Amino acid sequence: MTQATPAVFIVDDDQDIRTSLTRALGQRGFTVSAYASARAFLDAYDGETAACLVLDYGMPGMNGLELQAVLNGQDSPLAVIFITGHGGVPESVQAIRAGAVDFLEKPFRQSALVARIEIAQKMALDKQAALKRQRDLGARFSRLTAREEEIVDRMVAFPAEVSSKEIGNALGISPRTVDHHRARILEKLEIRSLVELVDLASKLNAGRR
Amino acid sequence: MRTSLGAMLAVGLAGLQFLAVLAVVFSSYVTSERALLDHARELLSDVGTNTIAHSRGFLRPARGAAELSARLAQDRVIASDVPELMEQLLYQQLQLAPQFAGVYYGSEEGEFVYVMRSDGPGPFRTKIIRRDGDTRTTELIWRDDDFDVVERQFDPTDTYEPRERPWYVRARDEMTTIWTDPYIFFSSRQPGITLASPVLDGPDGVRGIVGVDIEISDISDFLANLRIGSTGRALIIHSNGDVIAHPDQDLLKTEDADGTLRFVDIGQIHDPIARAAFARLMAGGRIPVRTETLSQFNYGGETYVAVVMPPISDKLPWTIAAYAPESDFTAAIKQNRQTNIWIAALVAGITGICGLALANYIHKPVRAFAVRSALVAQGELDPSEPLPATYQELENANRTLMQQIAARRETELEYGRTFQLTSRGMAQIDAATGRFLRVNEKFCEITGYSAGELGRMTFAELGDPKEPPVLLFGAEQHGAPREVNQEMRCQRRDGKGIWTSVNAILIFNQEGRPLHVVLTMDDITQAKHTEDQVAELSKDLSNLSRDNTMGQVAAGLARELNQPLTAIAQNADSALFAVEQMSGVDHGLRETLDEIAEQALRAGEIIKALRSFIRRDEGIQTDFDLSELVAQTSRLISAESRAAGVEVIADLGNLPCVNANRLQIAQVLVNLMRNAIEAVAEGDGDDRRVIVEARREGAQVSVCVSDTGPGVAPGVSLFTEFETTKAAGMGLGLSICQSICQANGGRLWHQPRTPCGAMFCFTLQASADQPPTA
Repeated sequence: MTQATPAVFIVDDDQDIRTSLTRALGQRGFTVSAYASARAFLDAYDGETAACLVLDYGMPGMNGLELQAVLNGQDSPLAVIFITGHGGVPESVQAIRAGAVDFLEKPFRQSALVARIEIAQKMALDKQAALKRQRDLGARFSRLTAREEEIVDRMVAFPAEVSSKEIGNALGISPRTVDHHRARILEKLEIRSLVELVDLASKLNAGRR
Repeated sequence: MRTSLGAMLAVGLAGLQFLAVLAVVFSSYVTSERALLDHARELLSDVGTNTIAHSRGFLRPARGAAELSARLAQDRVIASDVPELMEQLLYQQLQLAPQFAGVYYGSEEGEFVYVMRSDGPGPFRTKIIRRDGDTRTTELIWRDDDFDVVERQFDPTDTYEPRERPWYVRARDEMTTIWTDPYIFFSSRQPGITLASPVLDGPDGVRGIVGVDIEISDISDFLANLRIGSTGRALIIHSNGDVIAHPDQDLLKTEDADGTLRFVDIGQIHDPIARAAFARLMAGGRIPVRTETLSQFNYGGETYVAVVMPPISDKLPWTIAAYAPESDFTAAIKQNRQTNIWIAALVAGITGICGLALANYIHKPVRAFAVRSALVAQGELDPSEPLPATYQELENANRTLMQQIAARRETELEYGRTFQLTSRGMAQIDAATGRFLRVNEKFCEITGYSAGELGRMTFAELGDPKEPPVLLFGAEQHGAPREVNQEMRCQRRDGKGIWTSVNAILIFNQEGRPLHVVLTMDDITQAKHTEDQVAELSKDLSNLSRDNTMGQVAAGLARELNQPLTAIAQNADSALFAVEQMSGVDHGLRETLDEIAEQALRAGEIIKALRSFIRRDEGIQTDFDLSELVAQTSRLISAESRAAGVEVIADLGNLPCVNANRLQIAQVLVNLMRNAIEAVAEGDGDDRRVIVEARREGAQVSVCVSDTGPGVAPGVSLFTEFETTKAAGMGLGLSICQSICQANGGRLWHQPRTPCGAMFCFTLQASADQPPTA
C-alpha cells in the first residue's frame, strides 16, 4: 500500500504535549494520531502504514527506546523522532544507532520538529518501498520447489561452478534435469539471466538478514 | 623427716635379729649360771658327805680292833701279862688295818707292848717295856710280814711311861672306849688320833688299856685327792678349831716354842682362802655347826662358794668344810658365755647382713619404682612402658599413678595443642614482670617477632611507642582486674602499626598469688580497616544520596517542567503559524507569539543548566570487586537488619570485576536492601530474609535483591518520581536507582518473587579486562 504523505503518530504520556502537537501538526496538513503509551500505539498500529513516529523517550511502562526496538523487530515502515524531557548523551546515541531520525530535547520550536518530520516522512516512504520489494522477491522465491531452491543456493554459494554438469554432480542428479530446473527457476523468478538470479538472491538474503 | 623404707627395713630386720640372739644368749647365760651354782653347792655338799663317810669308814676298824683286843685281854683269852702273846695279837690287828699306825697295850703294872709300822729294818717294830720290880727293860723287835724277827735290840734310853699318857688316863678314868682329840704323833710326827679301850678287871678294876693309833694323814690324802671343781679344797676342822685334815698336809702342823708339834688353828692356817671362809665359824673356841651350811664369799676379787657340814658324831666332833671358786664351775659357762656372745654377735652380724640383703631385695622394686616414677615425671620414660616385676601394691599404685600421669599429659598436650594450633595469638606472661613465658606461632605471626625474641621482651614493649599499653597486672596492683578486654595499638617488629584485640586473664595459684597472665590476641587491623572503609562509604553515600536526591529532584522538575514548556512552545508556534496564514495581522502579535515560544525554550535551557550543575560526577566509572561492595553495604545496614530481625544473605558465586561508578552502585545496593528490609519488617512472617544474588550473564552481571516481605501491590507505579508508599519517603529512591543503573549502562527492574515478596534486579557491565575474581 502506497500513500502520498505518510501520517504522523505521536506517542507521549503527557496529555498537554499530545494536544498541542496534534493541533500544530494538524494545522500544517499532517495526518496526526496521538497515543498515550507505547502499548496503546502498538495495539492501534497495523504494521504496514508508512508513518513518522514522534516518540517520547521517558514514559512509564515501555519507554521510547523499548518501543523502537519492538518496531525494528517488526520491519515496520516507520521513521522515529525522539523527543525527551531529560535527554542525555548516552540515550540519544543509543536511539540514533537504533535508526532514529533525530533526538529532540524538550522544549523545541515547531519549525525544528516539522523539518525533521518531513525528513522522516521521506525515510518512511523509502523504507516502505524497500519492504515491498523485499516482500515481492520473497514471494517469487517462494514459488520455487525444494530442489529448485537447492540449485539456487548452490549457484549463489559457488558462482564459479554454475554449469549444469557441475551442479548435477554436486547434487547427484543429471545435467539434463538441472537444465530443466534452471529454466523453471528463471521463469518463476521472472528473470532472464544467471547474473540477475545471483543479484536477486543476495538482495533477498540481505532483506532477510 | 621421712625415713626411707630401705633404711627402716635394714634397721628393722638386722636390729631385731641382733636383739633376738642377744636375748637368747643372755637368758641361757643367766639360767645356766644359776644351775651350775646349784650344782656346785650340791657338789660341795657331796664332798662333805663323802668325807664324813670316808672318815667314818676310816676310823671304824680302829674301834673294832681296839675293843676286840681289849675284850680278848679282858676275857683272858690272851694273857695280857705275856707280852709275846699280846704282841702277836696286836701284830695281827695292825696287819688287818693299814690305817693303823700302831696298836699297843699298857698294863696297870706299867708294862707296855707296842706294835707299830716301821721304816726299817723290818716293816713292823715292836716295843716291849717290861718291869721287874723297879727295873725296866725296853726291847725293840723288828719283824717282817711273817712275824719273823729281823732284828732285836734293847733301848736303855727309853723313858716312856704309858700310864701317864693322856689316852691311858682318860680311858681308865672313863672306864670306856675313848677317842682322843687329834694330835701329832710323837714318834711318827704325823697327825693322828688315838682310840683307847680299857681292859676291865672286875666291875671297877682296870687291868690295862688297849690303844690304837690311827694316822689321819690318810684322810688328808683323801681330801687332797678329792676333786672339787678344779681348785676347790675340803678340810676337816676339829670342834676346837684345829685343822686336822687338809689337802696340803704341811700346813697342818706347827711347832711350839718347846718343840712340840701341834695342829694349826683355822684362824692361823696358811690357807688364806680357808681362813677367810671358815675363820668366822669360830665362836668361843668352838665351831657351833649344826646343819649343813652353804655360803658364798669373796676373796681376792673372786667369788667362792663354801659348805660346812655338821660334826660327824659326838665322839668325832669334826666339821667337814669345803670351798671352791665359783669360777671353777662358771668359768666354762663364762667362757661359753663369751663364746656365745661372740657367736651371737656373729649371728647377729650375719643376720644383719642377711637382713640388709633382704631389705635391699624387698626395697629394690620400691627403689626401681621410685626411679621409674622420677623418670616418668621428667618425661624421660613413657608411662606406657611396662613396669618390671614388682609387688601387687606397687603395681596398683603404678597403674593409678600412670593413669594420672597419662591423663595429665593428655591434658597438657591438649592444652599445648590448643595453645599452639589455635587460630588466635596466645601468650603466657609473667604476672609480676610482664615478661613473655610462652607464645604460640600465631602470636609470633601477628607481632612479627620470633618466639626467642619475645622470650626476652615484656608485653609493654609490644605497644605502640606513642600509646604504650596500660600495664595489665602489676605486682603491687591489689585491685587488678582478673580479666581485661581491650583494643590495643601494637607495633610490629617491622615498625608497622597494627590494631589488636586483647583478652588477658590473670591466673592465680591456690594461695591466691598471681601466677601468670594468659593472653589472647587477634589482629583486627583488617577489620578496623574494613570498618573505616564502611564508614567512608557511608559518608560518601550520604553525600551522594544528597547529591542524587537533588539531581533527581532537578531531573524530575526538568521533565515535569519541560512538558508544559514544550506545550507552550508548540501552542505559541501553532498560533504563529495560524496568524501567518491570515492577512493583515499585526506584526506585534507575531513577535509576541514568537517571544512566547522562545521564552519557553529559554526556561528549558535554564533547567538543563541546573541539572548539569548538580549532576557533577557522573561517569566516573572504575573496575571494582562487587563482592566486596556487597559485603560492605551489608555491613552498613547491619544495624537496620538486626533491628528488624532480618537475615541478610549474600549469594554471589564466582563473579568478575564490574565496571561502574562504585559509589552509585553502592547507593543502589543500599537503597534496594533497605527497601527489602523495610518490606520484611512490615510483614510478620517467620521467614525473614533478604537475599542478595549476583550472576554473570555474558558481558553483564545481574544483581538481584529479593525479600520475603509482602511484595509489591498491583497498580503501584514503582519507578515514578514523587510517588511513594512510604509515609516518610519522597518517592525518589527507586527512580534514582533506575537512573544510576541506566547511567552505568544497565537497567533496573522489578519482578515478583515466589511464593511471596519482591525482587529487584539490575545489571552491570562486567569489567572488560578483568578476569573473574575468586
